[in-house]
Amino acid sequence: MKRSLSAPRGLWMVALPAVAIVVVPVIAVFWRTDWPNFLTSISNDTSRTALVLSLRTSIIATILALIFGTPLAWLLANRAFKFKSVVRAFCVLPMVLPPVVGGVALLYAFGRRGLVGARLDEWFGIQLAFTQTAAVLAQFFVAAPFFILVMEAAFDQVDRRVVGTARTFGAGPWRTFVTVTLGLVRPSLLAALVLTWARALGEFGATITFAGNTAGRTQTVPLAVYSQLESGGDDALALSLLMMLVSLGVLIALRGKWVSALRRGGQ
Amino acid sequence: MSLEINCELQRDKFNLEVHLTALPGSVLAITGENGSGKTSTLDMIAGLLACTDGKISLNGKVFDDSKTNQFVQPELRGISTVFQGGGLFSNMTVEKNVVFGRGAVFKNTPRFDTAIEQFDLAGLLSRKPSTLSGGQRQRVALARAFLAPSEILLLDEPTTSLDAVSRDEVRRAMKTFFETYNGVVILVSHDSTEVSELATNVAKISVSRGESTTATLHV
Repeated sequence: MKRSLSAPRGLWMVALPAVAIVVVPVIAVFWRTDWPNFLTSISNDTSRTALVLSLRTSIIATILALIFGTPLAWLLANRAFKFKSVVRAFCVLPMVLPPVVGGVALLYAFGRRGLVGARLDEWFGIQLAFTQTAAVLAQFFVAAPFFILVMEAAFDQVDRRVVGTARTFGAGPWRTFVTVTLGLVRPSLLAALVLTWARALGEFGATITFAGNTAGRTQTVPLAVYSQLESGGDDALALSLLMMLVSLGVLIALRGKWVSALRRGGQ
Repeated sequence: MSLEINCELQRDKFNLEVHLTALPGSVLAITGENGSGKTSTLDMIAGLLACTDGKISLNGKVFDDSKTNQFVQPELRGISTVFQGGGLFSNMTVEKNVVFGRGAVFKNTPRFDTAIEQFDLAGLLSRKPSTLSGGQRQRVALARAFLAPSEILLLDEPTTSLDAVSRDEVRRAMKTFFETYNGVVILVSHDSTEVSELATNVAKISVSRGESTTATLHV
């Protein structure tokens, strides 16, 4: 007899498939990878271009999420305003929206004949759709909600007494925000950035719809994987493995921090 | 020359009325049951809450006046605070905590050395608050309040949740502090020993519960 409280019998039997459906495909990719040619595969022209492009666009999208998401998350956590729940719902909408639908929506907003895009073209001669900027926007659209959600939870967890103390000792609202609040949420901020970046890096649906799939311009790694697979090229597997390693790296770096960040703001 | 408060805070089903005059050099202890509005009273003085109706002024300077729509931000009121749990910045060292804000100008001055010595922080300066005991945290909070020039000192249950030994230690530190302090001290406390030992006046918030709660503080 094991000396511990018993759990309902048979749970493992039902729980194991949930693990297997993730573990088996990961193993399969490792198993099928052509290891001797792995480095050649990810360093040929198409792959390298896609990698550089992916890195650049995803980092820019993450920085944009940081710049625009931080104030929004703070306001959501600290201020009561009209239509707050509507604003929040719109902020997280991309998380539940199929990314391809997001791409369609972006196209009708910023495309050449879109709601805003038509004016941009007419007045400034700016065309966004099917450019690298579009790839960045698509990634921002899909990934920023993760940043906003984690940071709202983080700001919400900051002790109001501590922030109030900073104010009474002479720090204005901005100084308090920069020296105290940001310092307190730093672990969550790092988790939010990594999570947002990982999501941006993996973006596919919105990118292919709004930015297209032009090698060297908008073909990020996930799009390159798709193209390779379609055309029977050999690099799909190697690039997939690389993405998988990056994702695992992210999880190891975070060590479950983002889960706790979502739960209690990482405090 | 005094702190004058005549104001009301209206909340959903809760009404707090404060009429209070406190003179520099005095230590006013505020007692009252949980949820009677002791902390809210301190928050209104500090400027972390605006009163719904009424006026707060110090030496004739208006802090908050609902009639003239004046409200002075907390950073401009010149108030030192020791909130429950110490209100320390956990991302900063003890030293950075002590010299935060108005106290910063006293870094590397005899006044800083006095603060460190008086609150016995010499060995703790490079530590982070999370590594300190409850009593040590409160001493850091007191040193910070000591170093920053202020006309009002607000303390919110500074010894609650401390063990008996730390409580004595923090109480002694407060006693020395108050003896040389020239401003108005307002101390919210549950501890009758602390109140009798430190306070020059005591006021209790009276509460009447009906359909909504009304709390009154009259000093």
